[in-house]
This record gives sequence, C-alpha cells and structure tokens, in this order.
Amino acid sequence: MAQAQPEAAVAATKLPAQSQLPYPSPLMKRLGAPLLALPAYQAGTALADAPPAFTEVGLRYTHYSEDSIDQDVVIFGATDRYDIDVTQLWIEAPVGASWSVALDVQNDYQTGASPWFVGAQQDGAPGVIMSGASIQDNRVEVGVTTRYFWADGNAGFAVSHSDEDDYEASALAFDASWNTADDARTWSTSFSSSRDTLNPTQGVIPVFITEEDLDTQSGYFGVSQILSRTAIARIGLSYTLSEGYLSDPYKLRDQRPDTHERLSLSAGYRRFLIGSDASLQIDYRYYADSWGTDSHTVEVAWAQNLPGSLLTPYLRYYTQREADFFGVIANTDAQYYADDYRLSSYGAVTLGARWAVALGESWTLELEAERYMTDADWGVFDGAAAPALVDFWRGTVGITWRFD
Amino acid sequence: MRYRYREHLIRGICLLGMLQLAACSSVETVAPYDRGYLAEEGMLWDESPRNAKLKGHVYTSKEASSGGAGSAGGGCGCN
Repeated sequence: MAQAQPEAAVAATKLPAQSQLPYPSPLMKRLGAPLLALPAYQAGTALADAPPAFTEVGLRYTHYSEDSIDQDVVIFGATDRYDIDVTQLWIEAPVGASWSVALDVQNDYQTGASPWFVGAQQDGAPGVIMSGASIQDNRVEVGVTTRYFWADGNAGFAVSHSDEDDYEASALAFDASWNTADDARTWSTSFSSSRDTLNPTQGVIPVFITEEDLDTQSGYFGVSQILSRTAIARIGLSYTLSEGYLSDPYKLRDQRPDTHERLSLSAGYRRFLIGSDASLQIDYRYYADSWGTDSHTVEVAWAQNLPGSLLTPYLRYYTQREADFFGVIANTDAQYYADDYRLSSYGAVTLGARWAVALGESWTLELEAERYMTDADWGVFDGAAAPALVDFWRGTVGITWRFD
Repeated sequence: MRYRYREHLIRGICLLGMLQLAACSSVETVAPYDRGYLAEEGMLWDESPRNAKLKGHVYTSKEASSGGAGSAGGGCGCN
C-alpha cells in the first residue's frame, strides 16, 4: 500500500477537468514512496519534485471495534475484545525553495480483553482463556519529517517516537527517489532503524519479564513505470530484520525465536478508464518470513470521480500459512511455541469504502468505513483452525485544511 | 525450518518477474503534456497516505505479515 509516483506528476502538465479535489500534499505523497514501506512510516505516495506550495493542517478520528469472541469457545474470561480510538493531527509546510517539514501526532486509546492462552474444553475442543478484566492503555506517537527536493528527485529524513504504558519505540528513517531523464520511471529506496523497549504491565494477568528490548532494521527498493497515458505499475522488495524479544508477554504460552527475518515483494497497477471517469487500482503482496509464515494479499479498488468528490470502494483478500511453532494448543515441550491466532493459517476478507469530498477550495472531508472478517476455511494454506480469530469494524472521519 | 521462507520468496520473485516482464512489454512513450490522467487522484498509490498508514498499522497488528509497499510492523505493542 504505498510508493512513489513522481513520474505521474512530474509530467502532469495537463490536469483533467474531472478531478475537483484539492491535490494531495506533495510531501505526504512522497512519504508513500519507499519510506512508507518501512516500519517507521507505513504508507504513502509521491508527486512532483518541488516542495508543497501550501501549508496543510489535518485532523482525523478513527474508531476500531473488534467483535466479541464467541461464548462457545471461551473457557473463562470476558468476551469483549478491543475497542480503540485513534486521533491523528498533522501540519506540513514548505520551508524555503527546496525543503518541507511535517509534524505528525497520533494518540491511541484502547480498552478490552485479549486471549491469554488456549486450553481444552470438557469435550476436548480448544477453548480460549481470556485476559479477564478489561485492559486500558494509551499510546502517543510523534514524528517529524524533513524533505529536500531537487530537479530529478527528493530525499527525506524522519524521526519518530511512540510511548505507551508498557511499550516505547524510537525510529529513524531515510528515503530517496529519483526519476529517469524522461520522467517515465522512478527508482526508490529507503532504510529505517528502530529501537523498542517493553515494560509489561504487571497486574491483570501474570507476566514473566520486567523489561526487554527489540531492534529492527529495514530496507526497501522499488521502481515504478508509466506504461501508457492511462496506466502505471510498480514493483518493490523489502527486507526487515528484528532481533530481541519477539514473544508476546501477555500470553501464557508464547515462546518465539529472538530473530525474525521478513521479506515481501509487492506489485501495484493503476489504470484510468476515461469512459467511466474512474481508476482501477490493483495491489498484490507476497510475504515470507523465517518463522515459516508466508502470505498473499490482493486488494482491488475502484476510484470513481463524482462531482466534487471521489468514492473508492475496495475489496481486500488476505491468506497466510501458520508459523512453524504455532499450535492451536501450544506444545510447551518444544523449543518455540505459541497459540496466538495471528500465527495460524486462515483467510480474511475486507470490504470497505472511502469517500473524499471537497468543501470549497481549501477544505477536504474524508470518510471511510471497512469490515474485516476472518475464517480458517477461507485460507489457501493447510492448518488447524484457531478459536480466537478476530473480526472488526473500522470507521474514520477526517478534515484537511490547506492555505498559502 | 528457519530458512524455508526463501523457497517461498523464490516463487514470489518468479511470479513478480513475470508480471514485470508483462508490464514492460507494453510500455508506451508518453509525452509530458499527455500525462494528465496519470495525475488523477484515483491513480495515486495511496489516496490518503495517513489513512494508509493507519490501515497498515491495523492489519500488521492482526496478521502475521508486514512490509511490502506500505505496511509493516514495529513501533508499538499492538497486542
């Protein structure tokens, strides 16, 4: 879900009349490039190689709500799962003729319960013991990004810090993208490094560590190419290495390797259909890691131009293979073991829609809702069904203001 | 077992290589003045980068996979 698109805009000297939305900030579009493929960023795109011509201020609110776990598979504990409220605030602005800077602040407040471990019910079927009383936690993340622009490319440097009751993370990242002479192809790369520290909260359930660290390094390389006046494609490869404490301290039976290598290959395709005044968006990702998991992700969207707005319904399919050490009921005699449903084999379908509405020349309203559904039978990989697979709703509303 | 994933990766590289070859075989030269449709909002890799960041964060915290062109883990407990 991201990458650079300077080629699309470097050359976009004829803007179609259909688009009535304020143009996305070049700075954030660039973040989509390789940089957002990294842990420290996680999203984005790119446009022309010049700083933004305006200052942008934005505010977004998101509510995330997991369905209650089925009472039939719970042996003990609460059935309510997580609810999370997310607030995002940002400002980004040009600085001089060749630089830009952005400040992002995000606050997450979460409540609910999560699976503690999986045991056997009286009939022998696996059952979940939940964490019991509701957990509350608050996370604040602050990030600053600076970017330098030149004729054929741009480069950015970012620093971010995330703090919550039991987890602290700091990250640095660098990215660059450059265009070929005809601006039809863009090469992109990025690197990031993060340091996380865990201090699990003692109380609701017993935890067996007091403080642990986790170091993560990540790199990405990709290229995007104009295929025609209405089509563009991209391909990219990312590698991430994490070393340190990778188990889940809030799960009773969870002992994971202290090294995790992750590789992912991604591809994207965009085609504008002139007759429909809409864009077809197709994205694919193949992922594999050193824990034996691999997965396929496909997302298809249809971005329909409407008077003063853009409506984008989308469908996402995800399927993963279970980790080598996963067990529906963990085998604690093994060197590594886990009963975390997130490491099991399953399939997931997401249905959603995003609607961006221009409110005059300076304001944009953004609405999005999605439903995420999982089922062990929807996957393409073999593996026993975990009893605690999660379904959730997510809804977002945001407003953006741009001014000179 | 630790490096079994490389077998999967080779298969993935082959698949994407074929896709890239297919894409490059149909590349047209597009003049700068004829790239207006490519600048449409719906042609962006992400219409809303911050929304994409949040979505990636949610998926990464609920799935075993991360990374690729825009979603990866790290930076929070996410449990």
